[in-house]
Amino acid sequence: MNSKTLLYIVKRIGLAVLTVWVVITITFFVMRAVPGGPFMGEKAISPAAQAALEAKYGLDRPLSEQYFTYLKDILTRFDFGPSLKQRGRTVTEIIADGMKTSVKLGVVAAFSALAVGVVLGAVAALRRNSILDRAVMVITTAFVSMPSFIMGSLLLVLFAVRLKVLPANGTTGAGLILPIITLALYPMAYITRLTRSSMLDVLGQDYIRTARAKGVSGMKIIFGHALKNALIPVITYFGPMLAYIVTGSLVVERIFSVPGIGRAFVQSITNRDYPMVMGTTIVLACLIVVMNLVSDILYKVVDPRINLE
Amino acid sequence: MKKSLALLLALCLALSLAACGGGGAGTSGGGDTAMPDTEPVNVAASPGALAACLASEPDSIDPALNSSVDGATLIIHLFSGLAKWDQTADGTLTISPDAAEELPEGVPNDDGTVTYTYTLRDGLKWSDGEPVTAADFVYSWNRAASVALGADYGYMFEVVQGYNDIWEADDNGNPVNPDAKLSVEAVDERTLTVTLYNAVAYWNELLAFPAYMPVREDVVSDESWATKPETLVCNGPYTITSWAHDSLITMEKNPNYIDADSVTMEKLEFYLSDDENNMLSNFQNGSWQLIDNVPTNEIPKLKEEYPTQFVVTGQIGTYYVCWNINEDILPASSELMGVEAENAKAEIRNAIALLFDRNYIVNDITQAGQVPASSFVAMGMTEPDGTEFYKNAGHSDAFVGYYDVSEDAIESNYTTAVETLKKYYAFDDATQAFTDFPTLTYLYNTNEGHKAIAEYLQSALAGIGITVNLENQEWKTFLNTRKTGDYSIARNGWLADYNDPICFLDMWTTASGNNDVQFGKGEHASVAAYSMDLTPYGYDITVQDGTWAQTYDVLISTIKTCTDNDTRYQLMHVAEDLLMSTGCIAPLYFYTDLYMLSDGVEGFYSNPLGFKYFMHCVVTAYG
Repeated sequence: MNSKTLLYIVKRIGLAVLTVWVVITITFFVMRAVPGGPFMGEKAISPAAQAALEAKYGLDRPLSEQYFTYLKDILTRFDFGPSLKQRGRTVTEIIADGMKTSVKLGVVAAFSALAVGVVLGAVAALRRNSILDRAVMVITTAFVSMPSFIMGSLLLVLFAVRLKVLPANGTTGAGLILPIITLALYPMAYITRLTRSSMLDVLGQDYIRTARAKGVSGMKIIFGHALKNALIPVITYFGPMLAYIVTGSLVVERIFSVPGIGRAFVQSITNRDYPMVMGTTIVLACLIVVMNLVSDILYKVVDPRINLE
Repeated sequence: MKKSLALLLALCLALSLAACGGGGAGTSGGGDTAMPDTEPVNVAASPGALAACLASEPDSIDPALNSSVDGATLIIHLFSGLAKWDQTADGTLTISPDAAEELPEGVPNDDGTVTYTYTLRDGLKWSDGEPVTAADFVYSWNRAASVALGADYGYMFEVVQGYNDIWEADDNGNPVNPDAKLSVEAVDERTLTVTLYNAVAYWNELLAFPAYMPVREDVVSDESWATKPETLVCNGPYTITSWAHDSLITMEKNPNYIDADSVTMEKLEFYLSDDENNMLSNFQNGSWQLIDNVPTNEIPKLKEEYPTQFVVTGQIGTYYVCWNINEDILPASSELMGVEAENAKAEIRNAIALLFDRNYIVNDITQAGQVPASSFVAMGMTEPDGTEFYKNAGHSDAFVGYYDVSEDAIESNYTTAVETLKKYYAFDDATQAFTDFPTLTYLYNTNEGHKAIAEYLQSALAGIGITVNLENQEWKTFLNTRKTGDYSIARNGWLADYNDPICFLDMWTTASGNNDVQFGKGEHASVAAYSMDLTPYGYDITVQDGTWAQTYDVLISTIKTCTDNDTRYQLMHVAEDLLMSTGCIAPLYFYTDLYMLSDGVEGFYSNPLGFKYFMHCVVTAYG
């Protein structure tokens, strides 16, 4: 790695930190401006109780003071504070619980999608215009265009209610199979199509023809030259996709009652659980920023021609 | 060549799939993401267990902090208070002693207060084996009623002497008596005395309420005690043996519970989900035996498909439309002012309440057996003689309540309403519509069910030329808007906490935090349009043309200090009369509790507050 690349990475990390800080600041102040507070319910609590709770959680202090205390706590002690809604639990605990499931779900779904997608895409490209190629294209078009809530509901009704072979609830291990499939189908289809078109592009390049002319074996051409270069667009897609799939699976989490981070995030906003909103926003923002960074760096590693400047 | 390559790639595909499955299992540490072919999948509940889904993760199962019905159901399985709801052999519900040997009558004191003395049963133990003492109750009740805890249900202790001192605040909202305590004493290890401000008919019912259940001081000193199985020490029929947050709470029979022998269900699994479609799928495939909610649009189908398993029971609550009393609804040309204007508005609002076809709402929109309502205090509230309070509401011999909501009355209601409105608004006979009614905005919280009702109300009023715009807001924004009175008409609902009509009436006093109508606030504070005469009830109180504070607020405090139960109920009818005369509350229907219970479950019961009891269940068949 040369100094130019290193400088680039340092710059990018700086920018990432700045991005996260901007997200924290905006979320902090916008959240407080939204009407309704954490202790407001259908049945009103007395003003004295409200005051006692606000004092307990420091919500009675000026907003700017709360902001700086918050920043100090997360920077010096990595303390995201207590949840205002689920009394007795800390934000860190709740996020850790949610992330455990979401990461498991997301990582398995993303890597399954990658593996299946790359293989299917490559096969389709090598067998261009065959029945197999056409079948793959039709199926992937269907998966790309079908929203996950329809796909999820269909799988749920078929496998959990009609056939009764898989649980409908994402609590148990086996219960994660349907959500994983639902989550994986879209990126799998997308990666298949991406790999196919990029592979076709690469296979038509001069250097492949040269390699063939020089008598290099078919296998070596495909794995040594074609596939490696054909995967560059897939890598660009994969990083952000992984972040998206881990954080954005709210719909799938609801359909299958999976205790993931997406649900915790949305509920925290509904509840005006300020520390939870902040905590989940920071975690999700970091995840997306880091994934983008990683994919950019990987990009450079895979393709030395790319000039990061 | 090409063929072998394709084969190889296909092999890679299969391998990568298997690897990914394995990888997932690895990251979870327990191999629980196994693929279907590597581990048999069992969709049914574990044998010997009963699986139920009430709602998503409860905010808290600390008895003092909980304010939800689903949380209450969990708590009654974990804790045992002085009293409990019980089902007798003939299926009727009673309140019977639990931790107390018996539930004696109170002894009146000279100052009008009433003292109760309870003896705890011998051999009561916490789940960790420590004895349950009277001092535990003293500590728990004082904790639950304290300002510092700020519990939603702290006010459940307002009947206990000392509560008012605890909550007395100066102008800045700071407590005046920071050391005040409830009049609850532990005479010895097993004897507890408690003094109430006056005799309270529903006292035993309060004793069976979660907020009154005991906790132990050394246990709750750790604020996270009620979030982890290992720190949750309880004294009820079950203990929590595992808790996967947002996912599943598993309870097992508590061998230290004094009545452990009567507990027939060894294990309970409470799944935590708030998605009705998912709940239904799990019920349909036999995984769960009870679900507490179903998708509204599936109700007609479910009623047909599961006639014995689709259950509708009463729940003490009212769904109603509330008006902002300060909203000017008179035509621009009206010259009415002050009291006259207020009386006119009351008449108009009451006329509009007649235009809603409540039978259509419950039969075609909500479809869950709700009962059309013509009074505010809900069905299920009983009088001292055991009859229904709502049946004695209003002053008509021809119908129940303040207006006739039977299907036959729709036309006459319509005519009456239109005739009344004609007194104030210009009516165009050609179109049969009013031409100068100001445009109204109906506010509701974002929800398909509320939206459907809102659209119906809109169309009902559009029929006579009243334009209603619909506005929906996200839940907390909605609560805030309604509370601050920044609306003209809004959807509202109220569920009882205990079987006493006062919980529907004291919410409308000027200072109440639930006074969404804004009675006695803003312009209405100075409107002297109300009269009452309490002399027939033995009180020397007569008010002619008084403000809301001079009438309703006085009436409620009179009810709260009234010691004669019959008089008290009569006064509550007077309060409801006054409330309904304003027309600010247009009840639509009385709530029902709707759930699905598998035919294979026996011994289940629920109480009118919606708490569900599983401890005496037997599951005879799964799936």
